[in-house]
Amino acid sequence: MLWYKTWLETRLRFLVGLAVLLCSAAGVVLQYPRVVELLGQMPAVSLGGEIGRRVQEAVEHSRHYRSYVWSQGFRQNLAQMGTLFAVVLGTGVFFHFSRGAALYTLSLPVSRSRLLGVRAATGLAQWLAMALLPSLLIAVLSPTVGQSFGLVDALAHGLCLFFAGAVFFSLTVLLSTLFAVVWRPLLLALLAAVVLSIPDQVGAGWSRYSLSGLMSGEAFFRTGRMPWLGLFAAASLSAALLYGAARNFARRDF
Amino acid sequence: MLFRTNPSLGVPIYLQLMDQIRHAIGTGALRPGEQLPGIRPVAEELVINPNTVAKAYRELEHEGVLELRHGSGAFVSENAGAKNVTDKLRAGQAIVATAIERLRARGVSNEEIRRLVEAELSGLRKTGGRSA
Amino acid sequence: MPESWAIETTELRKSYGSTEVLRGLNLQVSRGSIHGFLGKNGAGKTTTIKTLLGMTHASGEARVLGLGAGDPTAGVEIRRRTGFVSEDKDLLDYMTIDQIVRFTASFYPRWRSDLQQHYLQAFELPVERKVKALSRGMRTKLALMLAFCRGAELLILDEPTSGLDPAMIEEVLQSIVRHVSREELTVFFSSHLIAEVEQIADHVTIIDRGRTVIAGALDDLRERYCRVQLVFDGEAPHPVFRANGIVRVNRQGRVLSVLAAGDRDAVLEEARALGPASVDVMPVNLKEIFLETVTSEE
Repeated sequence: MLWYKTWLETRLRFLVGLAVLLCSAAGVVLQYPRVVELLGQMPAVSLGGEIGRRVQEAVEHSRHYRSYVWSQGFRQNLAQMGTLFAVVLGTGVFFHFSRGAALYTLSLPVSRSRLLGVRAATGLAQWLAMALLPSLLIAVLSPTVGQSFGLVDALAHGLCLFFAGAVFFSLTVLLSTLFAVVWRPLLLALLAAVVLSIPDQVGAGWSRYSLSGLMSGEAFFRTGRMPWLGLFAAASLSAALLYGAARNFARRDF
Repeated sequence: MLFRTNPSLGVPIYLQLMDQIRHAIGTGALRPGEQLPGIRPVAEELVINPNTVAKAYRELEHEGVLELRHGSGAFVSENAGAKNVTDKLRAGQAIVATAIERLRARGVSNEEIRRLVEAELSGLRKTGGRSA
Repeated sequence: MPESWAIETTELRKSYGSTEVLRGLNLQVSRGSIHGFLGKNGAGKTTTIKTLLGMTHASGEARVLGLGAGDPTAGVEIRRRTGFVSEDKDLLDYMTIDQIVRFTASFYPRWRSDLQQHYLQAFELPVERKVKALSRGMRTKLALMLAFCRGAELLILDEPTSGLDPAMIEEVLQSIVRHVSREELTVFFSSHLIAEVEQIADHVTIIDRGRTVIAGALDDLRERYCRVQLVFDGEAPHPVFRANGIVRVNRQGRVLSVLAAGDRDAVLEEARALGPASVDVMPVNLKEIFLETVTSEE
């Protein structure tokens, strides 16, 4: 009944995160008509510098539904909030916000590797749902605003989101095995996410190779081909982080 | 319940129990052939270790005071020397009464009398006054 | 072949940072005994217990039911055959009583449903209530019940009566004794309260500052230790006792108090040779043994 217990411990986070992401995805789709309207009304503004470039880019993306969805949906909302929730899923892994629960669980005839394995598997499964379902929702809802977004495309983006986000999940799990306090892994993982997204802001040409580029499925968006290498790299990194977490957890004193 | 033990006396609980059982037999509260309460109920009632009760019963069986019948329980021996014990105790009571009277006449308090007796008994125990 | 010791540790050492908590602790608990583990707060009791259950890693050797406590695989088997109640009665607060019982039962093939029914009734536990909403006393009872029902060969209880009022303490001791008298198992319980150890334990280990200072059958200790009190007409002398087993000599005015273990005759002989006005030999209880031994340790 270890899975049941893990579900009990994480279901609130999962359901809240899923709900938020679903709403966000729906919002992206349903706002499109309004965006188009605004675009039509907007004068041809030309601002200088980086901000100008960005505004120009956003306007360009919004002209076509597909690029709008990618830019607003996957690159912005889902990637950012998704990262947050992936990290949240990974926190409190071994304490469930109270040391006592850890001692009780550790007194059971279960190996530490199994405890961590079940926790990680549950978290990853939950993250998979949180990555795929909102993406699929975009495809399903698009006809309601008179647009279409392919299921296969949605699936592809969802998978990219999953694999990239899994890295943050695994990082948080690893950090949880190092710190006894619940919030520190959360903060550090979020900090890492911010740091990792910096290359994006700086060099426009490199973004598809960064982790956040992977997360939004930029390569797929631009070329129509899945970034298998990137996915594999992300999966390997997650595996390595989780392995490190398992080693730490096995050695830890409670 | 018949028995009362005090774990903080420094006297092993099983010895206290043995004394109490002997006393109960001596005063007739337990008669020859009568069954004693089981080890488990006694332990649960007094909230002491069942092993302790078992030890007391075993020791008394060695002394011939009790009979442990496998499956049935502990019984007071027919020849627990109950009558002898009663006589012994009555005679003993008389001796003690005289001694206490004499000590009191010398101004020895009850507490001091108790201490003297304890001291003597402790000395006796070490020099093998008790059967193994 | 069954191991003779239920628990055995050899030179157990553990430090947290620069603080040495266990300094070569040796412990032996025989099967079928109720073994009290006494020590002041901070002496290392909980650390020892956690090591036995694989929650903490220490150097030295620790074996439980014949299996090595430091080995992860053996540790799982140890925990399968052991029932544990932590000092803070740690449980899964977010579950209801019913949920935590079913959850725990799923890990123990030897789970006793008959005992589960018995204790749910006897302890009057409201199955639909969440664990976090339970009073301290109910929490303790639930924790005990979860330990009792595991079909365990060994019960490890860390300060089972801590934080409870006297009536509840008596109830807890009663249920432990009752359980022990019906099932065949070993009980190892730690405490800093001597009275309860004296009441139900048949063996005791006293530790101080991470080491064992006294170990043995409680009855043996009671028979071995005695207090010899000497009163002198004048000032009490400063004697040098040559006899073995003198634990402590207290000198106050005209009274000399000797706590002795072992060779009573030799001590008495030397005592009488000092020419006291009176010699008193008194039994010593566990509290005195504990206080004198633990505080006199250098």
